[in-house]
Amino acid sequence: MPERTDPPGLSNGVLLRLAFRNVRKSARRSILTASAMTLGLALLILSRTLADGAHESWIDQGVRLGAGHVAVQGEGYQTSKSLDDLLSAADLDGAVEALGSPQFESRVSAYAPRLTAPGLASSTGSSVPVLLTGVDPAVEVEFSPLDDLLAEGRYLEPDDRLAAYVGEGLVRRLGLRIGSRFVVTAADADGQIQGQLLRVRGVFRTGVPDLDQSLVHLPLSTAQDWLGTRGGVTSLAILMWSSRTAAAARRELRDLLPSRGVEVLTWTETAPELEAAVKIDDLGDWVFHGITLAIVALAILNAVLMSVLHRRREFGVLRALGLTANETGRVVIAEGVMLSVISGLLGIALGLGVVFGFWSDGLDMSFLMDQELEISGSLIDPVMVPAFRIAQIGWSLLFILFIGISASLYPARQAARIDVAEAMKFER
Amino acid sequence: MTSGRIWGRIARRNVRRNRRRTAITVGALALGFVASTVMIGLSEGIVAQMIENGTDLLTGQIRVHGPGYEPERSLYSTLGGRAGVDLDQMLAAIGGVAGIEAVTPRVYAGGLVSSGEETAAGILMGVDPELESSVSRILSALEQGRLPRRREREVILGQVLADRLRAEEGSEIVLVAPAADGSMGNDVFRVVGVFRTGAAELDAAYVLLHIEVLQALVALDRGRVHELAASVDDVWSSTEVVDLLPAAISSLDVEVAAEPWTRFRPDLAEYAQLAASFNWIIVLIVFVMAVFGVANTMLMATWERRREFAVVRALGAPVTGIVRTVVSETMVLGVVAIALGVAVAAPIVFWWSQAPPDLSWIVGDFTMAGALVEANLRVEPSVKGPLLSATGLLITVFLAGLYPAVRSARQRPADTLAGAE
Repeated sequence: MPERTDPPGLSNGVLLRLAFRNVRKSARRSILTASAMTLGLALLILSRTLADGAHESWIDQGVRLGAGHVAVQGEGYQTSKSLDDLLSAADLDGAVEALGSPQFESRVSAYAPRLTAPGLASSTGSSVPVLLTGVDPAVEVEFSPLDDLLAEGRYLEPDDRLAAYVGEGLVRRLGLRIGSRFVVTAADADGQIQGQLLRVRGVFRTGVPDLDQSLVHLPLSTAQDWLGTRGGVTSLAILMWSSRTAAAARRELRDLLPSRGVEVLTWTETAPELEAAVKIDDLGDWVFHGITLAIVALAILNAVLMSVLHRRREFGVLRALGLTANETGRVVIAEGVMLSVISGLLGIALGLGVVFGFWSDGLDMSFLMDQELEISGSLIDPVMVPAFRIAQIGWSLLFILFIGISASLYPARQAARIDVAEAMKFER
Repeated sequence: MTSGRIWGRIARRNVRRNRRRTAITVGALALGFVASTVMIGLSEGIVAQMIENGTDLLTGQIRVHGPGYEPERSLYSTLGGRAGVDLDQMLAAIGGVAGIEAVTPRVYAGGLVSSGEETAAGILMGVDPELESSVSRILSALEQGRLPRRREREVILGQVLADRLRAEEGSEIVLVAPAADGSMGNDVFRVVGVFRTGAAELDAAYVLLHIEVLQALVALDRGRVHELAASVDDVWSSTEVVDLLPAAISSLDVEVAAEPWTRFRPDLAEYAQLAASFNWIIVLIVFVMAVFGVANTMLMATWERRREFAVVRALGAPVTGIVRTVVSETMVLGVVAIALGVAVAAPIVFWWSQAPPDLSWIVGDFTMAGALVEANLRVEPSVKGPLLSATGLLITVFLAGLYPAVRSARQRPADTLAGAE
């Protein structure tokens, strides 16, 4: 070696060079160990990007059918679900005006006023409880997924008056056709029972029996007249481009709107069961990855430990040349870190390569299910579109580094504790 | 001693030679076994819970209707048409079918429920309280009050519906429902109880009455019911039990349409299948990770012993013998790992199946495929999980042993003994 190491410490350059040589010297072992880590990390990246994408889609579908990422409602409506707690026409206008300000422009994708009431849909032979929603057809085309699930007829149009857009299940239960009339009954804002005649304009099919039987869309103005809400609605549902901006948007809206009579909520409050489903799926994912990577960690531990036990003599020589126990240990840890970094980068490249090389348009899981699946009121899209997040990649890299370092600690201690004389006594 | 036993003995010795290495390898394999067993158990726990909540809660596992009842569910489409059936004979005949645990009659009607100024739409369901409890759990979900009695105008309501109506135990409510004679049935009833199942559509819409009281309200005779719901001993045998029904009721001369839950809740059956295919993926991933670790260890172990193998070969041992000893060495590791894995997994599975740890402090309940899933770690004990995991593990160690085995068998004894790598 041309330059001389300073007696008090081993320079980092030399330390890394020693470690690198060791990794290279036993190439086959290094490759096997690195493959396990690379594969483990690639798998982590793969499943995280797909899961993040899928969860965003669950949330998106759920809030489109439900109350939006952010909902502006009358105070108390969330618990009472009663028309006594309406969002008044004035408050609705205020909220719409606030949403028009430039701060929301880049984040809000659409907003829709809705008037929702539970009621009964009846034909001559049968009655079925339904959830009646008065909607503004022009904005709902952007917002609700229902208009895309058209099976027959057409979605509501702005000029419609006594029209209804209903699910396939309801049509079957009530024996309806396009153009047939049926009666919906519900309690109005004054608590009086009011009937309303509607004509079926279009039929949708979500594939989820509950939704196909219970959701009914009718024009907002018709619903407001029928239920006597004097321009009031039950909620203004707001759709964001990303669910991550919901909390901030709620805070800002709260500041802009009157504090009395108006409540601003995020989807985690209006659909807690949806958040629970996302959380539990995430939790299961992390446990699964924790376990697979723990198995990888044991493989690394074994590999590094074996390489240490094989090189007792070499470590003996290093110690005899003046390396401290601490420095010998650091050489071993450096080996572990080097293996982790190399396989970490390879794993990220492999994971991202597979995800975005093959599935950037989505991984179609529909071959596994021929029924629609519903989770917490959200329709599950069988096509999983991956979502890329820098933070997620960073976490994965940290995770694998942590595993690499912690798996090298025990072997490093073994290397540091070598008895120099004992280690150099025998020729092996 | 036969040669097989010799190779086995050499293998066992080598496993013992480097205990630390063996311990780590066995540890990794056992961890894989425990992880995949418990994860499969959890996934089956969710499926079992979904089937229970999806069928036990209300529908039962088998439903018997008149042929035209679905999908309109019209008030008129009772079993046996307008004439109805002899209910007692019918219940006895179906209850006698092998595999059926209990059977109960039900009457349904859609109606409006009012209390004070509040009104809501509800599903009125007439049940026989004694029979109903052995088919579904809805009556045991009663949170306050008692069950409605025969001949009394009494109802129990779902919690959400009761809140919406601002009604409670003791309140008076009015039920309005279209009746079978073309009139509107309406009457005043007393709320004698409130139930809470956790399933939104039940708690928000169902009003339960005694079956005879509802029959009187909607003008149906005693023999006219919409549905017979049955529970079975084994949920997975529902389809076979349904096939036995026509023969059992043939003497009654009633035309019926009977369905198992896999037909009327196809989404649930679908999810159960989906979960089963994910179990394979779990096992595959866990053990693919383990293959590398074991292969690495075995590669090192055989490299250390290259001289030993060369000597054995030089003494005339066949190549297959070397392969055999290395592979049996990994198989020994595999068997030990399974034993350890079973010892660790069994208590976890037992504990989590008897008293599932509660997760409600992290997440709330959610619904999947229309069935409620509670936030806990319930494990469903089964032989399939451990069997699948053990098979995966043995295949893993076999494959992981094969490469080092072939490598060591391939080396040329003369070169190795001469000191070449």
